[in-house]
Amino acid sequence: MTMGRGPDEAPLLRVEDLRVEFVSEDGAVHAVDGVSYEVRSGRTLGIVGESGSGKTVCSLTTLGLTRHQGARVSGRILFEGQDLVTLPEDELRAIRGNEIAMIFQDPLSSLHPLYRVGAQLIEAVRAHRDVSKAKARERAIELLGLVGISDPARRVDDYPYEFSGGMRQRAMIAMALANEPKLLIADEPTTALDVTVQAQILALIERLQRELGMAVVIITHDLGVAAEMADEIAVMYAGRIVETASAERLFAAPEHPYTWGLLRSIPRLDAQRAADLTPIPGTPPSLINPPSGCHFHPRCPYAQPDHARIDPALEPVPDDPSQFVACLLETQVRRRLWQQLGAGDTPEQALAAVGLPSGDEAGAPA
Amino acid sequence: MSSPVEPLVCVRGLTKHFPITRGIVSQRSIGAVRAVDDVSFDIHRGETLGIVGETGCGKSTTARLIMRLLDATAGEIEFDGRDITRLRGSALKAVRREMQMIFQDPYSSLNPRKTVGSIIGEPFAIHGLLREKGERKREAQRLMGTVGLNPEHYNRYPHEFSGGQRQRIGVARSLALSPKLLIADEPVSALDVSIQAQVLNLLRELQRDLGLTLMFISHDLSVIRYMCDRVAVMRSGKIVELQDNEQLYREPRDPYTRQLLESVPGVRKIGVRSAR
Repeated sequence: MTMGRGPDEAPLLRVEDLRVEFVSEDGAVHAVDGVSYEVRSGRTLGIVGESGSGKTVCSLTTLGLTRHQGARVSGRILFEGQDLVTLPEDELRAIRGNEIAMIFQDPLSSLHPLYRVGAQLIEAVRAHRDVSKAKARERAIELLGLVGISDPARRVDDYPYEFSGGMRQRAMIAMALANEPKLLIADEPTTALDVTVQAQILALIERLQRELGMAVVIITHDLGVAAEMADEIAVMYAGRIVETASAERLFAAPEHPYTWGLLRSIPRLDAQRAADLTPIPGTPPSLINPPSGCHFHPRCPYAQPDHARIDPALEPVPDDPSQFVACLLETQVRRRLWQQLGAGDTPEQALAAVGLPSGDEAGAPA
Repeated sequence: MSSPVEPLVCVRGLTKHFPITRGIVSQRSIGAVRAVDDVSFDIHRGETLGIVGETGCGKSTTARLIMRLLDATAGEIEFDGRDITRLRGSALKAVRREMQMIFQDPYSSLNPRKTVGSIIGEPFAIHGLLREKGERKREAQRLMGTVGLNPEHYNRYPHEFSGGQRQRIGVARSLALSPKLLIADEPVSALDVSIQAQVLNLLRELQRDLGLTLMFISHDLSVIRYMCDRVAVMRSGKIVELQDNEQLYREPRDPYTRQLLESVPGVRKIGVRSAR
């Protein structure tokens, strides 16, 4: 799969058929199950999915942070041509926090409560640069200013508890940017924040990306955040990417029934209030014994009998080079279904309109 | 909504100050946090009133004051025609039967050592209702059916349920005593997107079918938009704007409301789809 423009330029990060398994009492948990994607410098990839879809494990593995949790990792994670999966720990440590940086969801538990914010920033700088403490402190103050903390020369000596939630997340971003990374991975960077603060933080990440030319991977459960930030979006379900496309395309012409389900289950500011939400039925699947065939088939209103047997591959969609989808329905059928849904049909009505049996009939034993 | 003669809840000048104290022994008061500051509004019978605002704006404190889980510093709360601001003892307990709360976190708001059946039946025990053997079980199972849970799971424990199902358990418990007022404090913010829609639709259906009066608290403007008839926007303990849902989202009057609406990410971009 290719993402982004300029095929002549090599991607900064290329993940190939990544699989991550954890051993548990009940069996192997297939947290990431064959994921491939690319990110280029200056571009933003949004990874969207619900709890347990594998989006966080994917990026923790990129930084080698699942190594000590008994994870079995296979596939390749190529960063500037180096495979991070097989890279020795000390070499990986030189890259982590330096060329690849990460922002976590909860800024309070990611900052050490007993050390001053400045001391933690100085540590981040000195971990990768051979500079004096005084120089590193200057850099810390500069970084706090860069992320929009007013009076940074004074605030640098504050403890994390003296910072508000938004300021803490700014401090985390400052720490991530300390060594001007080429790749920034932001895992739910604004989930714990209020909406006005969220808008500021997202704008900050965008501005810094423009100024530093970083590649950004933003992991979120919020389609709105992905729409705001990403150039390309990958939708994950049960450890796999089920659909990927440019952000415009994903919202204008989504092809996977799970993506439809997500889009139709978020309340919208612009819709009529009377319009009912259509939740995705059922619950997220087990990652120990994932459903047979298409992993989404037990929750998919459009599943046909053979979808429980055949496992769809992520395949290109005609007309749009940016879009790939893993769905067993034919493209023409999918597009007509989406049209019917857009016209206000229920899934059952849409199925009838395209001449397919509905879920109950299709699910009945043949 | 039919225009009701008399609101179910009238709140006038409601104020809650939390003292800031200094000293361990002397506890000298050196100031106060004005968590809720001179707030007035009505909740009409059968409507859903939304309260939206950011962390610390006083929306949960307002709910707790109405529930009488906190005592007001000043102001009055009238519920179903009587002043409940200073009720105590058995009079308070009687009023509490008529208002119930659904909490944010379906994990910590259910006792992990009790079966679902006894959690849902507990309100009857507390108020000494349905004493006859088997009656509580029948009623709990009926409630489980109402909220879309399988009544056969009566003897299961909360950990055997997913987040969305747990929230349904919380809803069933809150409906047990047929309350006149239901207060839902961020009922879906701990849930995944696809599950969130299930719970929102459940609440909307119950409200329609049972004629519930609902006070719905959320930080999420799009959830509020979906659920509420009227919306109060709170900031720093005050209501800055209270309007009909449609009106608020079409023509927000207060600059803070506008700022909130403009901060929602991706509105313009996802909006493309529905504009078509």
